[in-house]
Amino acid sequence: MIEGITLTRRRRAPVFVWGNVLVLGWLAAAVALAAGADRWGLPEWLPLHAFLLGSVTTAIVIWSEHFVVTLCRVQGPSDRKLAIGLTAISVLVTAVLVGVVTDLTALTAVGGAGLAVIATVHTWHLLRWRRTAMVPRFRYLIDFYAAAGAALAIGAVFGAALALGAGWHERALAAHVHVTLLGWVGLSVLGTLFTLLPTTLGTRMSERTARLARRSLWLLAAGLVVAVTGVAVGWSPAAVAGLLVYAAGVGLAMAPLVDALRRRLPRGPAAAMLTAGTAWLAAGVVVDAGRQLVVGPAAALEPVLPVLVVGFAAQVLVGALTWLLPVVLGRGPSEHKDIAAVLGQWWRSRLVAANAAVPLVVLLPTVGWTLAAVAFGGFVVLALAVAAPVALRGEWRPVDGHQLGGLVLGVAVVVLAAGVATGGHSEPTTSAQIRTVDVELDGMDVRPAVVEVAPGTHLVLRVTNREDVRHDLRVDAGPRTKMLRQGETATLDVGVVRDEVKGWCTVAGHRAAGMTITIRTTGGHAHGTDDSTATDGGLDLAGRPSPDWAARDALLAPAPAATTHRIELRVAEQEVEVAPGQKQRMWTFGGTAPGPVLRGKVGDRFEVTLVNDGTIGHSIDFHAGALAPDGPMRTIEPGERLVYSFTAHRPGAWLYHCGTMPMSQHIANGMYGAVVIDPPDLPPVDDEFLLVGSQLYLGEPGSDAQVAKIRAGTPDGWVFNGAAAQYDHAPLTTTVGRRVRIWLVNAGPGDNIAFHVVGGQFDTVYREGARWPTTGAQALDLAPSQGGYVELAFPETGRYPFVDHDMRHAENGAHGYVDVAG
Amino acid sequence: MIDVLDLWTVVRFVHVLGAVVWVGGQLTVSVVVLPPVRRLLALEHRGEVLKAVGKRFALITAVGFLPSQITTGVLLAVRHGVTWESLTRPGYGRVLAVKLLLFAFVMAAAAVHGTAQAKGRPGRARTASAAALVGSLGVVLLATGMVEGGHRG
Repeated sequence: MIEGITLTRRRRAPVFVWGNVLVLGWLAAAVALAAGADRWGLPEWLPLHAFLLGSVTTAIVIWSEHFVVTLCRVQGPSDRKLAIGLTAISVLVTAVLVGVVTDLTALTAVGGAGLAVIATVHTWHLLRWRRTAMVPRFRYLIDFYAAAGAALAIGAVFGAALALGAGWHERALAAHVHVTLLGWVGLSVLGTLFTLLPTTLGTRMSERTARLARRSLWLLAAGLVVAVTGVAVGWSPAAVAGLLVYAAGVGLAMAPLVDALRRRLPRGPAAAMLTAGTAWLAAGVVVDAGRQLVVGPAAALEPVLPVLVVGFAAQVLVGALTWLLPVVLGRGPSEHKDIAAVLGQWWRSRLVAANAAVPLVVLLPTVGWTLAAVAFGGFVVLALAVAAPVALRGEWRPVDGHQLGGLVLGVAVVVLAAGVATGGHSEPTTSAQIRTVDVELDGMDVRPAVVEVAPGTHLVLRVTNREDVRHDLRVDAGPRTKMLRQGETATLDVGVVRDEVKGWCTVAGHRAAGMTITIRTTGGHAHGTDDSTATDGGLDLAGRPSPDWAARDALLAPAPAATTHRIELRVAEQEVEVAPGQKQRMWTFGGTAPGPVLRGKVGDRFEVTLVNDGTIGHSIDFHAGALAPDGPMRTIEPGERLVYSFTAHRPGAWLYHCGTMPMSQHIANGMYGAVVIDPPDLPPVDDEFLLVGSQLYLGEPGSDAQVAKIRAGTPDGWVFNGAAAQYDHAPLTTTVGRRVRIWLVNAGPGDNIAFHVVGGQFDTVYREGARWPTTGAQALDLAPSQGGYVELAFPETGRYPFVDHDMRHAENGAHGYVDVAG
Repeated sequence: MIDVLDLWTVVRFVHVLGAVVWVGGQLTVSVVVLPPVRRLLALEHRGEVLKAVGKRFALITAVGFLPSQITTGVLLAVRHGVTWESLTRPGYGRVLAVKLLLFAFVMAAAAVHGTAQAKGRPGRARTASAAALVGSLGVVLLATGMVEGGHRG
């Protein structure tokens, strides 16, 4: 009792009042953020850190320095230094919070590093004071706080690593949580309770306190080091052993507390909350150890976190402030009593609510968090009602109950009004187009990374987590999935998409590690307006192919033996993957762009039936045959068909395409293909491939934006066989020494091709019916609608890129690989 | 080219100006005027001054603020294509409806404040004025939300 009373007779300097207002402010922010997290689509991470990093850390710094200064009788830091330190902490914490939420990694890094520095300085101060402590009995207190400070420094480093997207995320997270909660918060609290709890109970400190405190610190620190190392390297036995040793330390530390409790049961709010909080710490550590044992080091922390955060940290903070604030804010015993009465209002209900909230947060999260918010939010309102006026006016005055009642009434009405006003979906959900897209979370990636929809599309994402790390997905507008375990699927209603929407995994650091998705709108026709500024998102070569994607097989089968080829080609408007993960509607012959390859010999007859299953008129033009175009090349309307017959008199790689005007659009939108007529003397080779080159124009076919690009000749990309960079993901394969022939047709609609194999030399080049006499060639150049082939043998094993050597084309999709095995 | 200063701009300006005067007036009285008045004036002068301030504010509200706000508000609602039926639908309509109810609450609280003050019940008057002030801020909050909603609509 003596210590408690002597240290609190005089009112502390303004910085002390302001420091505690800061603690309450962060607590209020945490409660508000927790309450609004769902509505605003904020990650749970944010209120958690506003509370632990903002409120609890500030409180620990203020009060640990205060206790050391008064109990050990050392010269404390000047008010100015303390003010600077507290301000710095709040600024750095704000930097971390804003940095993570807005994805500004630099800000997060600066904040985390700054906090680690402050923790180190704080620890160093404490150790320096240890030497000058006038009351050696209380040196254990400094040891506790110094160990806690070291834990915070380590925890901040782990935290920054997480925020920057460490690859070993789950283990870093476990280490971060353990070292900060059990180390920084746990050690600080336990160290303080040796003196604080007896004071709140109104009993004396037990004789054996100092001795037990020193011993328990050894156990706690050793247990913590082993446990954190264990979870960081992912070795369960160490984690379990460490946690059990730590639990033993908690038990030992509680012995003097139990002594005190035996003498007097807690009656007031402070003692009751501190006692309950400490019990939750012990329970949390034991549960944690059990889960480590059963589930392993990757055990998800969510059952343990609420126990430690709500049951332990929040409850201890509120309990301690209930006891300490009256002394800070009031002058003289009567003011202390008045303030204590305000802070103690409804304390029994708040106590019950807070402790009922702990299991409920795990079992019924919404109810649990609401209960916790009410319990702790209630305290924040009471405490701020006292502390803010004191900070502003410099003196305490009884709260005006009438005014407070009016404020509460007003806030309640406004909150109710805001709830009613914004309830329900403001977007009509009956809009015509609902599109569902499958999205996978795997390997710290969201696949596909880009989803394109027509503006006005109502988009629903079916999200599946493939990884044994928990993920969720949240989009700009706010909606998000719950946390998904491995194999779990949830639907995410993005709503009606009008502009680009970004999405990401809200687990701290995952966004920085690349777990993002972009939802783009294609050209602006769905509005029914002439919106010439509407753009598509552009080509994304860094994307990943969709899970069901397969490259178009570039292998060219030999010509069939038959001399008459009967083919039916159906025009179909079809969704085609034109770049990795990027799909768009194309006009196709037979469902693919390019259309199917036809191959025959000189003299073969081709009878092609064209059926128009599209929505506008189309036609077909085979360069491989010579005939009067009037009939066979006529445009047929949707639902019509025509037969196009020709005899192939000349060898070569010929183009076929839709000949309906504007032809540039019909070709650009995918209506082209190749006919290969073998020359009579074509020597056999080991592997034959066929590539059709063309330009890629993204956007809804026929939309103003896309047509404008086609007319201007500014493609979004250049492709072989219809998809940008597809053979980067699915390389062609051959082996060393085999003769390889690569057929090429340039479908256009506008650009030339200079086909080149990096590391290869062509020994044979055939172009437009002529075999070049060559001693070696490096590129086959083809104007739009020209064709030919090159032959080569690869000299050694390796990965050989093939490109359109117009590098603007190669760098925008006209690129692939040949994998050459030994 | 949009004509920035068309007639509708003037109507909207008057509506916003009314809100500024009302909310700003409440804030000024309770945060700026009241504390020094309480501190500096003797009890009898204090009552006199506050009564005069209150009466003047009530007069401005009844004669100027309320009619102008209702007129411009109805005009703007018509201009925005708000119908009775749309007031219940989620989105702009519902926000507007709730804003009107909240405004009615504020006016009621202000009236309670006035009568309580006149009947010499300062406690109830303070409750009502605090509720009215917070309610007014809520009206402004909802109005701010409607500006964004209006753009989308």
